[in-house]
Amino acid sequence: MIPATSPISPANPMITAMPPGGAGPIMPGGALVPGDGSQPASGFAGMLQGLVSTVGAKEAAANELTRQVLLGQTGQLHQSVIAMQEAGVAFSLMVQVRNKLVDSYQELMRMQV
Amino acid sequence: MNLITGIDVTADALEAQKTRLDIVAQNIANAQTTRTPKGGPYQREVVSFATELLQRTDGSAVQTVKVASITPDPTPGQQVYNPQHPDAGADGMVTMPNVNLAYEMVDLITASRAYEANLSYAKNARTLALKTLEIGK
Repeated sequence: MIPATSPISPANPMITAMPPGGAGPIMPGGALVPGDGSQPASGFAGMLQGLVSTVGAKEAAANELTRQVLLGQTGQLHQSVIAMQEAGVAFSLMVQVRNKLVDSYQELMRMQV
Repeated sequence: MNLITGIDVTADALEAQKTRLDIVAQNIANAQTTRTPKGGPYQREVVSFATELLQRTDGSAVQTVKVASITPDPTPGQQVYNPQHPDAGADGMVTMPNVNLAYEMVDLITASRAYEANLSYAKNARTLALKTLEIGK
């Protein structure tokens, strides 16, 4: 992405003349690399990472409950199955978020320049 | 946070009904027991439920179910004439447990149908959650 945009930005005086605070995320080249552009990116990446770790925690909890049932430490079979279902639904939610993200990325890549 | 609505209440209800099924199993298993640690024949036990307020992390509160008590049934047991029995009295009468198999079968069916009803709810809630996620497709 950066090799594609960097030849444009010096050629276009309008973009380089824009104030850095104005259209920060949309600005090509300069805004993506330094800290100005990485702030919203890390926000979304952090959210996505939080989602992934939540799903991971739910699956770990389900695994732990299943292990306890199989070892005979608890007779709560339903708790184990419910935890598994909960982890499954959380995983589906994560997949949906990922699908949306990939869809919007592909939409951007198809955009006519 | 619960992704599947109301599943926490259903889990408690399943737990409560499972306790009730356990007690039915205990009553049927001890239908002929004439000797217990506290002396005398086995006394059938009865489970009762109570509501409990469940405060969720998102602030909403629901009433869930818990086992309130497991109490012995004080009804006297049947007297049977059986002089050969080691627990027979001087007159040859043995006090049998107050377990009535017909009552226990009715309890068993009621508890297992209640368990199934809660399972249906759990299944339905899961289907709804997955259908909701299909909005994004």
